[in-house]
Amino acid sequence: MKPQEVGIRVYVAALILLVYLPIVVMIVLSFNTSGRISFPMEGFTTKWYNGIPTGYEYASYISAFYDWKFWIAFQNTVYVATAGAIMTMIIVTTVAMALRHRVVGRDPLFYLILLGFVLPGVALGLGNNMLFRIMNWEFAWWTAAMLDTVYAVPFGLILMMARFDPDLVLYERAASVLKASPLSVFRKVTLPLIRWEVVSAGIFGFVLAWGELIRTSFVMRGTGVISTYIATELAINPITPKWYAVGAIVTGISIVALIILGWVLSRGQR
Amino acid sequence: MKVLESKNLTKWYGKEVLALNKVSFQVDEGDFFVLIGPSGCGKSTLLKVIAGLLDYDGGELYIKGTEVKQIPPHKRDISMMLENYALFPHMSVYDNIAFGLRMLAKDRSEIDKQVKESLKLVGMEGFERRSPLELSGGQRQRVALARAIVVNPSVLLLDEPLSHVDYRLQRKLMEELKLLHQRLGTTFILTTHVQEHGLSLAETLMVMNTGVIEQIGKPDAIYTRPATVFAARFVGDINLFSGEVVSKRNGRYTVKTELGELQASVEGDKDYSGHKLAYGVRPEAVILGKDAAQCENHIQVKPINTYYFGNSVECLFEAPGGVMLRVNVAPEAATLQTGRESVVGWRAGDAILIEKPSVIEGLNIEEVIYGK
Amino acid sequence: MTAQPSGKTGSPFRIGRYYSYMLLVPGLVISAIFLVLPLAIMTVVSFYTTAPSSTGFLPIFTVENYFDFFTSPQTGTLLLNTFSLAFIASIICFAFGFPLAYFLTFHIKSRTLKNYVITLLIVPFLIDWSIRTVAWIPILGKGGIVNFALMSLGLIKGPLEVLLFSRNTLYLIWLQTYVVFMEFPIYLAMNRIDPDLINAARVLKAPPRRVLYDIVFKLSLPGIMAGFIFVFVSTLGDFITPNLWAGGVQTLGLSISRYSNNFLWPYASVLSTMLLVIAIIIMYIAFKVVNIKKLFYE
Repeated sequence: MKPQEVGIRVYVAALILLVYLPIVVMIVLSFNTSGRISFPMEGFTTKWYNGIPTGYEYASYISAFYDWKFWIAFQNTVYVATAGAIMTMIIVTTVAMALRHRVVGRDPLFYLILLGFVLPGVALGLGNNMLFRIMNWEFAWWTAAMLDTVYAVPFGLILMMARFDPDLVLYERAASVLKASPLSVFRKVTLPLIRWEVVSAGIFGFVLAWGELIRTSFVMRGTGVISTYIATELAINPITPKWYAVGAIVTGISIVALIILGWVLSRGQR
Repeated sequence: MKVLESKNLTKWYGKEVLALNKVSFQVDEGDFFVLIGPSGCGKSTLLKVIAGLLDYDGGELYIKGTEVKQIPPHKRDISMMLENYALFPHMSVYDNIAFGLRMLAKDRSEIDKQVKESLKLVGMEGFERRSPLELSGGQRQRVALARAIVVNPSVLLLDEPLSHVDYRLQRKLMEELKLLHQRLGTTFILTTHVQEHGLSLAETLMVMNTGVIEQIGKPDAIYTRPATVFAARFVGDINLFSGEVVSKRNGRYTVKTELGELQASVEGDKDYSGHKLAYGVRPEAVILGKDAAQCENHIQVKPINTYYFGNSVECLFEAPGGVMLRVNVAPEAATLQTGRESVVGWRAGDAILIEKPSVIEGLNIEEVIYGK
Repeated sequence: MTAQPSGKTGSPFRIGRYYSYMLLVPGLVISAIFLVLPLAIMTVVSFYTTAPSSTGFLPIFTVENYFDFFTSPQTGTLLLNTFSLAFIASIICFAFGFPLAYFLTFHIKSRTLKNYVITLLIVPFLIDWSIRTVAWIPILGKGGIVNFALMSLGLIKGPLEVLLFSRNTLYLIWLQTYVVFMEFPIYLAMNRIDPDLINAARVLKAPPRRVLYDIVFKLSLPGIMAGFIFVFVSTLGDFITPNLWAGGVQTLGLSISRYSNNFLWPYASVLSTMLLVIAIIIMYIAFKVVNIKKLFYE
């Protein structure tokens, strides 16, 4: 079995290399002194990160740290992702709990929710765009968050249902037999037992909203979130290492968020 | 003719746990070979090593004369029924059983014939189209058995087939296994941690203890003449006391034990004079009542408790010095009142003398007899 | 459904049934407003007439948009492009994702290590779209690493242009992004496989490749289907990547975004609805083939 074992290791290593190569390149080149983004590197500098702007540059030349539009976009992204995370947590928990019992239309409901991610992002984006116009709703971060929730809920739901302890219903029953009110049953019995799954659902909601572009581009205006900001800027600006610096920052934060996710998931497993 | 032979088979789990410690034995063709031993003694490991599911670190293993270290499981002439049956959930009963035959590229009509025969052998005709998930535990087991025998192996391995089965089914299953063995003539190697099953089923019995073989032999031989204290303890119940041989006269030994001086007459040429050893007597060899006083060994005892088994009664007695004695008698003989002293006895010929505490070196005989 | 005092449906509360329905309210509300309603609007608008009005259309029922769609010569290419790109991308992701899931399940024993690898693979997905693709330029571009390496090894004379702005780039980028989407469900399904099933297959004379196919592959099919659908749908709707990096390949998504940017809502809605309908048909067929519920409902 040895050659097969070696083969699969090579395959996997190549894949991971493929996935991470651009990231590494991006980080390395973000320190390039030249304004071009190709190798070889001319010199090492952090000017793309924190170079002080003179006030006359195009967006491509303002360093990441001083690019106030970027930070607004960043802030928006955080809002959207957080709102998405919270909504996802709430909906995933309530729906998962409700779906345990035999409610009418259990299957169709499940498929409806599943529709949220099985739907191409464009369709969802377009439909919502028209909806907002008709209802005259604001294209703000909280509406974008709703879209992301619709997309993220199926993920969280599947995760939660896959890890629901079948004894949970028994514990709840025992508690209610002991005269606990439904709300306190939930707070004291159910919630502690599923809290890691709930948190995971929230993190899924956050992560899936973070880097999203397609749906979001239909429902955000103005500076928007990081992804829309960069997309619009890159359409009219030349590509410089500044964008790599921005990407490196975003990547760094994403990695931290994911390490937390990994830690949460490993704690939640028995 | 040997169908399987192992020489100094050794296996480590990681760096610390030695699962098989120079295990050497052989299995004759057509034998019903049973491995018994407490949990963790290595019997499942040994079975998996024979199957090829686990690799071994040292020694040699021969199946039908060929060393199998490089041979993967699907090329060995063995088949196995796993402890949890492992029926393929995504296949019907028919496909489960046909699986092995399909892997051997038999043709369709041949497969069909053999699958149907197999089902008949285990009494599961008509179940071809069912899903394993619909079956009861006993039914699943039969399918697993059918699946393993249909490929006509030289050696059939069965890992704890009696473990997850309730009492009544256990008896039935044992009978069926014995019948199956007679009909097929295949070599069976079976493991169990319940020694009674081992005794009933085996033509050859092997007792294992943390990676080593305590004793191999015919069940009745191991039962009447256990080679080590461990084997004596594990196979059947026994009253054991540590003792020292004080004298020997006319082939009869006098052994000094905590119960006093007891007589033992054993066969064989070995001279136990002056040795420290274990003196044992099986509960069913001990007699109650008026004949007890006539035996070479008799003791005054106080009854403590009785346990009713329907066809026999086990009585627990206390002898002078606080020593406990178990006696197994037929219900009619057990007419006692608690608290009344009586006499129990046994013949010298029923005594068992054992020198070795265990095959494992360095054990103190007292510790093995009485537990640490 | 009369209100009975004790929970015969198995719910723990006396009026448990009603609690279950109440719990569904948030989910239903959000789904209704942001999922059902937009789709409904989209479908309806696709039947409206295009007109130079403030909204870009008039609420007059017409099928001319659909007519245009079905008769337009570009439609065929559009559909073909969109669905074939997505399909091939999914196959590629499967080709890499399956071994990855296999490796993760059977070759890595430590639970924490498994989690970290999974986490590690999600990272590229989080980096912003544009940047992620832009980061490939210094690798695949004319002055990039790959060309540099190939030229210094003497394998090619001049720089390869085809590396960067072709469909292959597209598949590469999509692979990088979506391989996790394929790998994770497969991993979840594989993880559930009882290792004794593999042992049983081995002693039943199955050589390793048959074990892989008959046992591992077949038992992870629900996960494979799920992963396939994730990737398929995601690539279906991704219009930005093909547009930028595949030399202007026309996809449905691109058309949708163009038409909506020009306020031609009805036609955009038609395209979007058709995309949706075809996607659903494909998935319905897939669902029939494999029962995905096995993965979810345990």
